[in-house]
Amino acid sequence: MNKAWFFSIMAALSFSSLSWAQEAKSVRAIIAEAVVLTEDSDAQVKLVNSLTGMTDPELEPLLDAWKGGSIYLVEGADDKYIAVTLAGDPDATKKETALRLDTKEPLKDAQGTVVRVAPARAEIAETDSSIRRAMKSLLDLSKLTAPNAKDRMLAITQMGMERDVAKLPILEERLKVETDSSVKRAIQEAIALTQLRSPDKAVRLAGCTSLAEIHPLSAKDSLESVVKEALKAGDKELLIAAKKALEAVEAHRSIVNFLGTLFRGLSLGSVLLVVAIGLAITFGLMGVINMAHGELIAVGAYTTYVVQCLFAEGLALSPFGMKLSLPGMNASGWLYEMYFVIALPMAFIMAALVGLALERGVIRFLYRRPLESLLATWGVSLVLQQLFRLVFGSNNVQVNSPSWLSDNWTINDVIFGWNRVFVIGFAILIVFGTWALLSKTPLGLLIRAVMQNRNMAACLGVRTERVNMMTFGFGSGLAGLAGAFLSQIGNVGPSLGQNYIVDAFMTVVVGGVGSLIGTVASAIGIGVVDQSLQQILGNPVLGKILVLGAIILFLQWRPAGLFATKTRSLES
Amino acid sequence: MKFTRQFSRFACAAALAALTPLLHSQETVKVGVLHSLSGTMAISETSLRDVLLFTFDEINAKGGVLGKKIEPVVVDGASNWPLFAEKAKQLLEQDKVSVTFGCWTSVSRKSVLPVFESNKGLLFYPVQYEGEEMSPNIMYTAEAVNQQATPAVDYMLEKGFKKFYLLGSDYVYPQTTNLVLLEYLLSKGVPLENIGGGFKKDESGKIISAGKYTPFGHTDYQQIVSEIKQYAAGGDTCVISTLNGDTNVPFFKEYAAAGLTAETCPVVSFSISEDEFRGLPAKQLVGQLGCWTYFQSIKSDANEKFITDFEAWLAKSDVPGIVKDGRVTCSPMVLSYVGVYLWKAAVEKAGTFEVEKVIAELEKGISFEGPAGTVTSQKNHHVTKNVFIGETKANGQFKILKSYDNVYGEPFLKGTFKTK
Repeated sequence: MNKAWFFSIMAALSFSSLSWAQEAKSVRAIIAEAVVLTEDSDAQVKLVNSLTGMTDPELEPLLDAWKGGSIYLVEGADDKYIAVTLAGDPDATKKETALRLDTKEPLKDAQGTVVRVAPARAEIAETDSSIRRAMKSLLDLSKLTAPNAKDRMLAITQMGMERDVAKLPILEERLKVETDSSVKRAIQEAIALTQLRSPDKAVRLAGCTSLAEIHPLSAKDSLESVVKEALKAGDKELLIAAKKALEAVEAHRSIVNFLGTLFRGLSLGSVLLVVAIGLAITFGLMGVINMAHGELIAVGAYTTYVVQCLFAEGLALSPFGMKLSLPGMNASGWLYEMYFVIALPMAFIMAALVGLALERGVIRFLYRRPLESLLATWGVSLVLQQLFRLVFGSNNVQVNSPSWLSDNWTINDVIFGWNRVFVIGFAILIVFGTWALLSKTPLGLLIRAVMQNRNMAACLGVRTERVNMMTFGFGSGLAGLAGAFLSQIGNVGPSLGQNYIVDAFMTVVVGGVGSLIGTVASAIGIGVVDQSLQQILGNPVLGKILVLGAIILFLQWRPAGLFATKTRSLES
Repeated sequence: MKFTRQFSRFACAAALAALTPLLHSQETVKVGVLHSLSGTMAISETSLRDVLLFTFDEINAKGGVLGKKIEPVVVDGASNWPLFAEKAKQLLEQDKVSVTFGCWTSVSRKSVLPVFESNKGLLFYPVQYEGEEMSPNIMYTAEAVNQQATPAVDYMLEKGFKKFYLLGSDYVYPQTTNLVLLEYLLSKGVPLENIGGGFKKDESGKIISAGKYTPFGHTDYQQIVSEIKQYAAGGDTCVISTLNGDTNVPFFKEYAAAGLTAETCPVVSFSISEDEFRGLPAKQLVGQLGCWTYFQSIKSDANEKFITDFEAWLAKSDVPGIVKDGRVTCSPMVLSYVGVYLWKAAVEKAGTFEVEKVIAELEKGISFEGPAGTVTSQKNHHVTKNVFIGETKANGQFKILKSYDNVYGEPFLKGTFKTK
């Protein structure tokens, strides 16, 4: 067979298919054309925008594939890149058949053999934020009639942001058929904001009136500029309307701020509570000053990190020069995100075990000697910190939040972050669990008996040593749970515990040592006061200083804290 | 006969003994490395020590400087600013080093500055800083404000952003940079109400601080993020962040949880480079922007060679406690590397290690072809170099979006922008 002849036919074929694609400009062809222009993002944006108005069922999956990194670039014969997707038929070397993005046909090289690509090695077609923004507005537009209300909402917000007067009719059309009330509101908002841009004064006035009615936060900037323009033009009617709308927006904003601050205070209080509840047991009930409490929190956080790594690619550690590598499950999707559910009990168990070892090794020799236990546990805290450094390195480790903790509900413009809602629920659960354990179980009875009068309890046959051990282990486990949660909102590093130990002691002392309800009240009180002061003063540091000052004054007035435990013991 | 033989033996030995240190001192030149190898800054600064040692080995393998091998004198500033001054004094007076490479924080630089000036030493400073300083004894290979902050703002203005929220850690670099940026934004026609974060004014009504500041190690960003969300509700808003290190983690986690993304309100960070990414949850930062004069993702032969050589050096390095896995390169590291070569070129041009003559050569303008392109030393002790805007990817690298070629380093910007 004549090879040259074969090639010329192949070339002609591919050329004709290319020219056909350019004439018809199918969605597929345009995207394939855009993907390879890696050096010129402006041209890419232009091409993506040219897709506007095309109704093709392939549009959304293709853009999602591009955004999600499942479109790859393969170098063609003339050093130009060809955009391909993979057929998903991995062989022994994990290579998959490459399909041309524009034609969906398998990609062949100069010899005519099908090109196979290993996804791990291949170059991913990247996107940048300007392209993603273009994609988003494109997809949002197509979602204007989506069955899901949340999708429609996104589409409307996006269009509202554009403030394009030309799109007014589309929005008005949509308002007539919209049934969902929140989406309806969003459309009204988008229409009103767009109306403010209109050259027609009557339309702008209408915009102001409807904004005064629905008072969205996003209207502030636009209304302010309208007020300015009206002042300049001396247009009294418009000025009054715009000012009225602005007032409504400001009133709404202050309500949102008030409710938001309340919620944030509650969530900060919950964080404090979660951090302090373990200490309320070990320090409050048992009277042990445990300076290593912070490191028990860090144990919980590092456990979460290890569990996350085991769900993902595994973990390679080199403690004390040894090489230790743990295989991972390479889970993805929802299975990977469930790691946190497993991490919570693991964090409790690990911290409880460390706590037990601490109790058996150090603290049991130091009951009733608070100063010595303070010094000894401080030493332990330093040792543990260094241990974290040796095992996990002195850099912070990465703990990713599962997606079910990193979104929010926005109700009437107040943001309820899922991680914050979670911590409130989590705190309630922990407090309830602790209360139930102390007051409803036989162990709780023993704990209370031992803590109230050790000798009497011992005389009645309670094994006080064992109860001490269990109680300390339980308090430590709670610290571990706190660590697991803290890994979702902040850093995980060797000095993690140090950042929270002061807050924890502060909360327990203010609440009244030995009182569970006191710890709850003081945590929430401190949280709300702190957030309110931050809101009022607009300065995070000043708020914290004032709270600390207030606590010192409060303790002068009531040294035993909010809820002092009544006791008949002679020494107090 | 016997006596003379013995005597000549003795004489030879004595001569040898006398010559050895002399020979030795002719073979090497002492060079100081002044970084924090312990304390809070160690995480960042240890990388700079590593890259400096690598550079010295690379130069020594090619015959050294003026035929002399570089002998590094590494001292630990321990993140303790008075100690930095003491260690600098030790390097200059005791070890008599020809040049020193070091310092990260502005406060450490400010504390060693008088030591270098009174001892007529030479310091190369490699980390982006706030400007407003020019010592005759310091070479700033660092990014000046107009090589990082103002090009980033230019880029955002070009992309159509109209409102800027300023946020930073509470110390000299963010405070000064944001004041310069405030002036710059006003000069570009951005009205004062479109600059967020709040202002502090003195009695006369002059703005002395712009933007929102949080202390090092701050963890509760709920309030600030909700403020940003309200501020950004009208659209076209971006955040200019000079938050340092650790605090970025709680900030970005809260940012994501509030539903803010790079598409709705991007964050431009000046303190997050590839090296810091080793401790950040990179997935939550995808699409956020950075601006530096070097990115590891730069595609050039010089950069590829630099990265592979550095990795090869790391693999066989016997520096105690050196981290070998997962290492990346970043702008402060490359600016340290480039600094050593600029010094070498200046010394070779001057034909001597004398500090005054070396500085004179540097002031005349010395060029070096580095991993990020050509850098040229300037008369004002800063360097001209390329500036890149990048966007973060899930793997902790940057995708380069735009570059500005040969930007002249200008330390004194305050008051140079005319407010419209």
